[in-house]
Order: sequence, then structure tokens, then C-alpha cells
Amino acid sequence: MNALILSAIWGVVMMFSGIFTKSGAAIRGIAITGLALLLVVNVLDFQGTALVDINTRGMLVYNTFSYMFLNIVFGATLLYFFLSGSDMERVGLHLAEYFALIFFILAGISIVASFQTLLMLFLGIEIISIPLYILTGSDKRNLKSNEAALKYFLMGSFSTGLMLMGIALIYGSKGSFSLETIGAGTGVITPLLGGGMLLLLASMSFKVSAAPFHFWTPDVYDGAPTVFTSFMATIVKVAGFFAFIRLFETSFGSVQAQWQLFAAIITAATLLIGNITAVFQQSVKRMLAYSSIAQAGFMMFALVSLNGKGSEGLIYYAAAYSLATIGVFAVLIKLNDYTFEGFNGLGKSHPLLAATVTICLLSLAGIPATAGFMAKFYMLSAAVENGKVIWLVILGVLCAAISVYYYFRVIQAIYFKDGEPQVAEVSTTFKVVMVLIAVLVVYFGIFPQRLTDFLYMVY
Amino acid sequence: MSATQILFWFLSALAIVSALSVVISKNPVYSVLSLIITFFAVSGHYILLNAQFIGIVNLIVYAGAIMVLFLFVIMLMNLNQDNEPQKNKWLKMAGVVSGGCLMLVFVAAFKTSEVNGKIAQTIDGNIGLTETLGKALFNEYVVPFEISSILFLSAMVGAVVIGKKGD
Repeated sequence: MNALILSAIWGVVMMFSGIFTKSGAAIRGIAITGLALLLVVNVLDFQGTALVDINTRGMLVYNTFSYMFLNIVFGATLLYFFLSGSDMERVGLHLAEYFALIFFILAGISIVASFQTLLMLFLGIEIISIPLYILTGSDKRNLKSNEAALKYFLMGSFSTGLMLMGIALIYGSKGSFSLETIGAGTGVITPLLGGGMLLLLASMSFKVSAAPFHFWTPDVYDGAPTVFTSFMATIVKVAGFFAFIRLFETSFGSVQAQWQLFAAIITAATLLIGNITAVFQQSVKRMLAYSSIAQAGFMMFALVSLNGKGSEGLIYYAAAYSLATIGVFAVLIKLNDYTFEGFNGLGKSHPLLAATVTICLLSLAGIPATAGFMAKFYMLSAAVENGKVIWLVILGVLCAAISVYYYFRVIQAIYFKDGEPQVAEVSTTFKVVMVLIAVLVVYFGIFPQRLTDFLYMVY
Repeated sequence: MSATQILFWFLSALAIVSALSVVISKNPVYSVLSLIITFFAVSGHYILLNAQFIGIVNLIVYAGAIMVLFLFVIMLMNLNQDNEPQKNKWLKMAGVVSGGCLMLVFVAAFKTSEVNGKIAQTIDGNIGLTETLGKALFNEYVVPFEISSILFLSAMVGAVVIGKKGD
């Protein structure tokens, strides 16, 4: 709750900082301070020292998973600010407002990490979505950015409409918004409840870009300014998954047998479409958009299996995937040419950047000794533990193999092709943070329990 | 058939017909006008359900303010049939088929729904009065009520970012 309040307040602080200073470095400094405070407050809250204690009447309930997830989100955003904060200045004139919108999104994420009623779910999802529409269209002179924003806005509003319809149907059948009331006594699915659940499944799949609701993803991720794509594809996406799984675990967990096949088919389609289409992309930015769909397929395993290992795996996956993707995007932003050829010869001209980005790509591909491998391992073993979807596990392994192809195409361009990559000036901070990300990726890959142990720590 | 029931069927038919004409009519101004009729019909439903406050707010805010704004924008943009882009025939067909499937499933499902035959409290009860609503909003639902201010604030910031001149 404290993180929610502070992030909303800091959004307002960022708005006012735009009046008093025009210096990009100062605004960035305020944003980074705010985020560091947010992280501290959340950790304190985790340990039981809340700054303000508000009775939410059971509408927001934080458990260790929520706190851990929020810690990962804030940590990843902090790294993202350090890496790409300076590139936001190139998008447009409203740097302070961009940061304000990102803080509002973080407030929305704090809601979806802890909602206990459908009302809060709706509010949280909307608080995440509306600033994102704006950030997508923030490059106003670029027609592609405008198109992406409009497309995202129209489709996003439509899926929100579906979600509201679903919430209304569920309310009609159960007479309550509370997830626990909905979950209690849901032994059989009645028509109203089933209809509502189906609509919620569709709209949440849209928000996390799972196939067949993924059509907006490549266009929006490609059209949006790359700095914001990086944020959208990582932190916002994992927040969507967290909400998705929290919703279905609490309210429809008891009837899982009836919708598991649906979820499994969505997962299979997401894996296949994401991976196979990514193979044919010419632009690395678009490839990363499809790769984010493919990775969403793996995160869907937590929904299909719906057990402790799956939730644990989702937390771990959130960290592994966000870190690696933020790293790759940060380097991509510095390049002039977003095609695979743009990476040619990076290994010779910028050995440090090349090495760190390679580690991130290896992690995304799921090579052992990186966090990505352990993340995929968690997800697949959750599905094996569930036992009913072994065919999906086999498909997952095959798709992971396909994904190696397109990630290694970038690595091949970096090290085995000659060229003169045009790279913008990179600061020392950038290099330090890139090294930090690479180290974290390898560290969590070798000692995965260092992250998941926090979930079972009792203060 | 009581007067309430007659009103209910009349408003329902009006809402469905005008909602369809929003989608079907070629002229955007007709679409907007039909949408206003839809809002009126829905407001009538609210009032039938004893939700007077929401019914009136729906009229004032949506049918009144927003739709008038809408109408102005459409008239200023001078849209007409000639420059409406031709949509793909197959795409239209696919839309009709998938939308129809959803409707079929829902109609089939809700025919046997658990609340079927239960009629909402239409005659007595003061659940929709401003006083009751205000009490619920500031007691039970005060947290979502306050949090929605973040949503509106972010929308306002967004409008400024998109609308401001200079870049």
C-alpha cells in the first residue's frame, strides 16, 4: 500500500519538477531518487514497518508474493531508468511528464499486484493502460508512433470493454466483486459465471498479448519509441501476468479442470506463433516484439499449471526476462540501425557492450548458467508437476529450441560479421549498469534460490 | 402486462434498434444521433431499476456533454461517405461470423442462467438515491474511489502531453 501511495505522489512530484527545471539530468535525478525511495519503502513494508497503515477493507491484500514481485518491478525499473533515462529526452520535449506517467503506471502495477476485488483489478489495469497509450504516441512527429498509439488505444479500449462485461456477468452470478467470494463454492460453472470467466480470459490474454489476442503487439511495440517499448515489453507485461494468475488462482482455481484446456491451447498458440514469426523478422526491434510474445507463452505455463511452483516460477521469470530484455533494448536504442545488420561488427568496436548484450540474449534463449534457463526450467517443471499437460511441455521445449535461432542471429552478427556499427555515445554509468545486469543474469542463473528464498522468509 | 413491463420492453427495443443503427448507418452524424437515443434508452432502464442518480448522470454527462462534443468534432471534420475507406469484404464477413458466434453462445448460455426469471427490484427500495450512493462511495468503496483519481490524473497528464504545441 505504501508503494502505491508513494508512486502516485511521486508522479505528481515529477509533474511539478517539469515546471521548476528544464534540465534533463535534474529531472532524471528526481525520478531515480523517487524510484529508490519506492524500493526502500516497499522493502520496509515487506518487513512489516509500514509508514502509513490504511484500512482497504480487504480490497488490496499484500502477501509475500506481491511484495517480492513489486521489489523486482521497482528494481528492474531502476535499472531501466539508469540505462535508458537519458534516451527519453530524444523522444520529445515532455521529459518530466514521461516520468510522471511511468510513476502512475507503477502505481497501477502496485494495485494489480495486490487486488482482491474485480473493481481494483479494473482500476489497476486501466491505470496501467492509459499512460501506456500516451507513451506509445509520444513521438508526435512520427506517423508510425501515431498509428501505433491509435491502434493500441482502440483495441485496448475494446478489450477493457470485454473485461467490464465479464466483470458484470460475474457480479450478476455471485453478487460480489470479491475474488474470495467468487472463488468460494464455485464447484460447477454456471452459465453466467462461465461467460464472465471466458470474457475475462480473453481480455487478460489481450493485455499480456497471448495468441490469438496478440495482433496489436508487433505493430505497437514497433511503432512506439524504443525507450518505451522496452518498458512496455518487460515490466508492464509481467505485471499483466501477475494479475492474470492472481485472478484465476483465487477466483477460478477450484474449477481449473474446466478451463485448463483453454489456457493450454492459448499457451500453445502463443508459443508457436511467437517463435515461428520471430524467425522471419528483419528488424531486431520487431523480432524482440515477437520474442516477447514467445516469452509470454512460457509465462502462461504458470496459468496452465496453477501450482506453487508456477507462482514461484512466475516471480523468477519476471526477474530473468525483464533484466535480459531491458539490457538488449538498452543497447538497441544506442544503435542507429535496427536491422540485424546494424549489429555487425559490434564485438570488435564495443567489446563490453557486445559481451553484455550477448549474455542477455543467451539468457533469453534459455542457455544453461543464465537466469533464462532456470526460468524456463521452473515453468516446465511446474507443468510436469501438474501432470495433465505433458504435450504442452514437449511443445515448450521445441519452441525454446526454435528461439535459439533468432537470438543467435544477433550474436552471430555481433561477433562473426564485419561492419562498422553506428553506436551513440555511451556513458560510464551505462556500461556499469550493463555489466551489473549481465552479472545478475548469470548470478541468478547459478543460484536461483537466492531470489525465490525471499518468498518464504518470515519476518 | 404492467406499465413497468411495457416500458421495459419499449426501452429495450429502442436501445437495441438504435444501437444497431449506430453501427449500420453510413452517415456519421446519424450514428451519433442514434447513440444519443441509445443513451436515453439506457438511462430509462436505470430509472426503472431505481438508480435515479446514475440515470440522470448518464443523461447529463454522456448524452449531454460528451455526445454534443462528439457531434461538433464530426461536423468540423466534415466526414462523408465518399472518403470513407472501403473495408475488406472478407474481413467484414469474419467479423459478422465471430460476433454472431459469441452472441449465439451467450444467448444459449443465458437462457438457462441461474438468475433467469428473477426480476430486479423495480418499485420500492431506495438503493439508487444519491444519499445511499454517497454513503456507499465514501464508506465501503472509498479506497477505489480515491484511487480512481490517479487514473484521471494520468489521463489529464496524457492529454497535455499529446495536445501541447511545440513538438
